[in-house]
Amino acid sequence: MFEHLINGFGVALQPFNLLIALVGCLIGTVIGVLPGLGPTATLAMLIPMIFSMPPATALILLTSVYYGSMYGGSTTSILVNIPGESASVITTIDGHKMAMQGRAGPALAIAAIGSFMAGTFAVVMLTFLGAPVAEYALHFGPAEFFALMVFGLATVASLTGTNVTKSVVTTCLGLMISTVGIDLVSGVPRYTFGNPFLQDGIDFVVVAIGMFAFTEVIITAREVREGTRAEVVKAQSIWVSWKEFVYSLPSIARGTLFGFLVGMLPGAGATLSTFIAYNLEKRICKNPELLGTGDIRGVANPESANNAASGASLVPLLTLGLPGGGATAIMLGALMMLDITPGPLMFEKHAGMIWALIASMYVGNALLLFLNWPLVNIFARIMTVPAKYLMPIVLVISTIGVWSLSYSEVDLILTAGAGMLGYYMRMHKYPVEPLILGLILGGRMEQAYRQALIISKGSNLVFLQHPISLVLLIGALLFLFLPALLARSKQFYMARKTSVEAA
Amino acid sequence: MIGMNTIKTKITRMQVEGLIILLVAIGYLWEAQNVPLLFQTPGVPGPTTFPWLLGIVFGVSGMWLLISPHKLIARYRKKAADEDEDAPEAPAPSGAAFGKIVTRDWHFYTIWAVILGYLVLMPSLGFPVATALLIAMFVFLLGEQRWWVVAGLALAATTVIYAGFALGLRVRLPLGVLEPLMK
Repeated sequence: MFEHLINGFGVALQPFNLLIALVGCLIGTVIGVLPGLGPTATLAMLIPMIFSMPPATALILLTSVYYGSMYGGSTTSILVNIPGESASVITTIDGHKMAMQGRAGPALAIAAIGSFMAGTFAVVMLTFLGAPVAEYALHFGPAEFFALMVFGLATVASLTGTNVTKSVVTTCLGLMISTVGIDLVSGVPRYTFGNPFLQDGIDFVVVAIGMFAFTEVIITAREVREGTRAEVVKAQSIWVSWKEFVYSLPSIARGTLFGFLVGMLPGAGATLSTFIAYNLEKRICKNPELLGTGDIRGVANPESANNAASGASLVPLLTLGLPGGGATAIMLGALMMLDITPGPLMFEKHAGMIWALIASMYVGNALLLFLNWPLVNIFARIMTVPAKYLMPIVLVISTIGVWSLSYSEVDLILTAGAGMLGYYMRMHKYPVEPLILGLILGGRMEQAYRQALIISKGSNLVFLQHPISLVLLIGALLFLFLPALLARSKQFYMARKTSVEAA
Repeated sequence: MIGMNTIKTKITRMQVEGLIILLVAIGYLWEAQNVPLLFQTPGVPGPTTFPWLLGIVFGVSGMWLLISPHKLIARYRKKAADEDEDAPEAPAPSGAAFGKIVTRDWHFYTIWAVILGYLVLMPSLGFPVATALLIAMFVFLLGEQRWWVVAGLALAATTVIYAGFALGLRVRLPLGVLEPLMK
């Protein structure tokens, strides 16, 4: 393992890859600072641009943008009281209070330090867990893989949104869209209605850009018309005293641990993980009545949790090929477009690429600490660029992204349709992440399902006869009924509701 | 039954959505029947097996939203139906109400029209012209009144983006109406 990691550092520290990691961290931080545009939409827009890159470099760019956005989200939470990312909502409570008390510097410093410690912990865990989990998953057959994907989709459906039925609807819709095109096994066209452009299926990038980027532009446009711009507080000295750092350490540790554990669940995402970690912190910490009054622990804990969760979501992605949420689903799609089959064999067949990615995450965390600590006031000034100038630029770049896929007018029309549907879904609380996940996993899921039925000569009991598959399917059912069971728990209910509203 | 209170029914948005979902599921399953089954071996799942499974789950979910059995049960038990975390559901808009919504939100629909127009017309108009128009109209609709800022931003942004993507990253962006001028 260490030999692989050292080789990984050899690739990650190549000048071009280092530059790409730095660019990704910068883009991610800017995205994190800007409210409205999230890492999922950004990753979707970047995919058309990574085709010419080697796979390792492409993955380094995407992951550095992803966890870079977690660092940037705290800046605006603290200085402007507007969370840059939904995962940074909790940080606004104590963070902005500290800024108004003239303590923006310590708040920003502890956010950067906590993020670095949690991010590094997540990468260390990925280092030690990755290969063993992947090796265990090599024993999975088609029935187990199908059950695993059902489990992943069920957890996403139960943990995103507030109405499980709506989540199941959007998941099914994503899976149904994935059936459009030529069936790979029999070669017959399905749901193409005679249109040759649909024979290749509907690209998930087209749908993702429509549902995330375009929808976000419309929502921001409405807010620009209706809202007012908040004042940006300037931070004086970005430093935290030794006493405050020691005081925050237990909160950082708990946020890291709980954020990582919850973040590994498909569907939990950084936002819900942060809410759950913070709620647990309020129950466990000393003097919980101080949280919410400008206590530095109220910044340290959620910022650690969201960085740990974002790193944790890469564990199921790289070991099982199961994305944890919207952003990792996009990364999964990117892997498939780079002709890499996600799953446990990645550690065997593409070991060099995986370990280079893990190594680059160590480097990236260090880069982000040095970027975010001294340069935070510069990043905060990005907030002063009016959204009315930024949003049309985002729109144009998104359109270029879709156009460059196959230079097809049909893709543009599909994006428009996806944008309208995505907007309706956002307004009426139909979660979008399960749809994207269903669209990306649909092909593999169907393949696993059909293979399992071929092996069992058409008997659906095969999914119940294999122990791993049975456990996963029971787990999937439990997760689907979990919200109903836990609705009686006010804590969990409020965490889920607030995280959905924040997103 | 004698003594039972009459239940007031009001069609909610969720029920309309449930109905639409159910209709889509029926259409999806119907179309699955049109998929040719070539060289199909008995017992081996064909190209319609998975779609049937999905269509049924989709349809059942739609029916659940349409009927909302848990709310019916709660209503019959005369409990406050606050199990649904959503805000109180709005009734489906009537024709008159819909007209008012359109009039009040003309700005919002104009933005949508601009975006959709851009996506449809960009290949034929060309990227430079379509993008400049989009940026100008979008910025104007979002409140920028100074025409020199609108025009300047539209031209500058279009030029920079075109240079960056077409010349720098070699993305083939259509010139459209400007193509005869470039030849």
